[in-house]
Amino acid sequence: MHLIEVARRVQQGEVTAEAVCTAALTAIEAKDGALHAFLHVARDEALAQARDLDTRRKRGDKLGPLAGVPIAIKDAICTRGVPTTAGSKILAGYVPPYDATVIARLRAADAVIVGKTNMDEFAMGSSTENSAYGPTRNPWDTTRIPGGSSGGSATAVAARMTPCALGSDTGGSIRQPAALTGTVGVKPTYGRVSRYGLIAFASSLDQIGPFATDVRGAARVLSVISGADDRDSTSLRAEVGDLEGACGRDVKGVRIGMPDEYFADGLDPEVGASVRAAIGELEGRGCVVKPVKLPHTSYAVATYYVIATAEASSNLARFDGVRYGLRVDPRHDLRALYGATRDAGFGAEVKRRILLGTFVLSAGYYDAYYLKAQKVRTLVRRDFDAAFREVDVICSPVSPTPAFRLGEKVDDPISMYLSDVYTLPASLAGLPAMSVPCAPTKSGLPVGLHVMARPLDEATMLAVGAACEAAIPCASPP
Amino acid sequence: MAGPAIDRALVLHVAKLASLSLSDADADRLAGELAKIVGYVAQLDALDTRDVPPTAHLQIDRTPWRQDEPRPGLSHEDALAQAPRVEGDGFAVPAFVEEK
Repeated sequence: MHLIEVARRVQQGEVTAEAVCTAALTAIEAKDGALHAFLHVARDEALAQARDLDTRRKRGDKLGPLAGVPIAIKDAICTRGVPTTAGSKILAGYVPPYDATVIARLRAADAVIVGKTNMDEFAMGSSTENSAYGPTRNPWDTTRIPGGSSGGSATAVAARMTPCALGSDTGGSIRQPAALTGTVGVKPTYGRVSRYGLIAFASSLDQIGPFATDVRGAARVLSVISGADDRDSTSLRAEVGDLEGACGRDVKGVRIGMPDEYFADGLDPEVGASVRAAIGELEGRGCVVKPVKLPHTSYAVATYYVIATAEASSNLARFDGVRYGLRVDPRHDLRALYGATRDAGFGAEVKRRILLGTFVLSAGYYDAYYLKAQKVRTLVRRDFDAAFREVDVICSPVSPTPAFRLGEKVDDPISMYLSDVYTLPASLAGLPAMSVPCAPTKSGLPVGLHVMARPLDEATMLAVGAACEAAIPCASPP
Repeated sequence: MAGPAIDRALVLHVAKLASLSLSDADADRLAGELAKIVGYVAQLDALDTRDVPPTAHLQIDRTPWRQDEPRPGLSHEDALAQAPRVEGDGFAVPAFVEEK
């Protein structure tokens, strides 16, 4: 059942929040042994919250827009009193003393937080294999990865354990797992959603967003979590508008750009065919499709891996064994405490990225790498500025391939990085972008249509996403 | 530009800047991995960016300053609750000031 229907039934007393919550917990118990979407299930807290909602409703209170809706939260988002590890050993056992702004807003909307989901350590990865707590498996084929880094959240929704989840997207970490698991995933405009309480990876790129079983549901969650926040100076004061209403909007006359660069070498032919067919359906509904050029696309991977690792090396400096998390103190010496704690607490990919980021910021290399990448970031943004003078949205594949097998890319970082080639440019430009399911491959693996829009134009993006969904209904895994 | 030689010495230097203790074996492995990634990144040199301004952030509106008034924050107790070691009312760290 989609989340809007769940909320309606709870609001009207057709079902109790407790029954809905119990059903979600039962589904997690039945399915998660094989999938490992969750790092922590907050059973008691969730049931207490659900019972409290039922009491308030019986008293005559009007419940919020997410009344009784079970939601799974990526483990990078701080939840007061509920363990939060970001998939890292360095935060094993950490229990935040505060809620992220998005969590406070979900609670105020009467959503029920059922647990924390698995992820690549500190969101660094595209497969959820970099979790310190073991990988998550794709519910469509458990020999395959669910994508990443928000693979646990995508899997929780794909396997219908919860109707929605929150993830975070730095270079594609919501959109790519959504595509690979056949769910709807939205990365909002940079600044649309407060990052307060999100464990930072790359602060100029990170954005929190929803996963859901349907576009309208994702729009509702996005409206709840969006909006200015005093605690995040990069959050935008712009009006959020009626995002749910946008999902029913007629798309006749909407101009869709198809970038040649996103349909070039390296794209799996079946994925390409499915995405082209979806764009054909949109054309059938009155959209106008035209080619656009985004000539700096192929430089996005290199640009991203310089900028994101530079920011990460700075953000992850806070994990030093002093204020929270793991502490290894071999010689009772401060430098040794830092070094040994970080060596023991961080996994291989995190170390690789901290070192790369420190290197590109270090004396003698800053201009050649970091400053250069920031300039290329400007070129990537200008590509989009020019394209959006011609079209209203840009459509492409999300991922060049369907879900790959566990272990297939773990020993080849560059090949793993290249799986993000279609999602990184919109991240560098701060654009809103989403993945919406289109026709699966012949072997039944999900494929996502990528819809990118102008900054703050989530409404048009969601209208196009909803039109695609109406043409190609989303299935759930066998 | 020609890329730098990424060897064990450079990796250990960068690891020191990043406060990461690495074994020599890890440093050797990482030198090989980083050399490949830095080699891949070198493709950016193909672009002429002399007149292009850098993008450091994407903030599209300016946040107004708020009044400088005290607001409630974390309690002292909450702030210390997750510390691996506490002494008195603060975070405990090894001595780091050299005594003469």
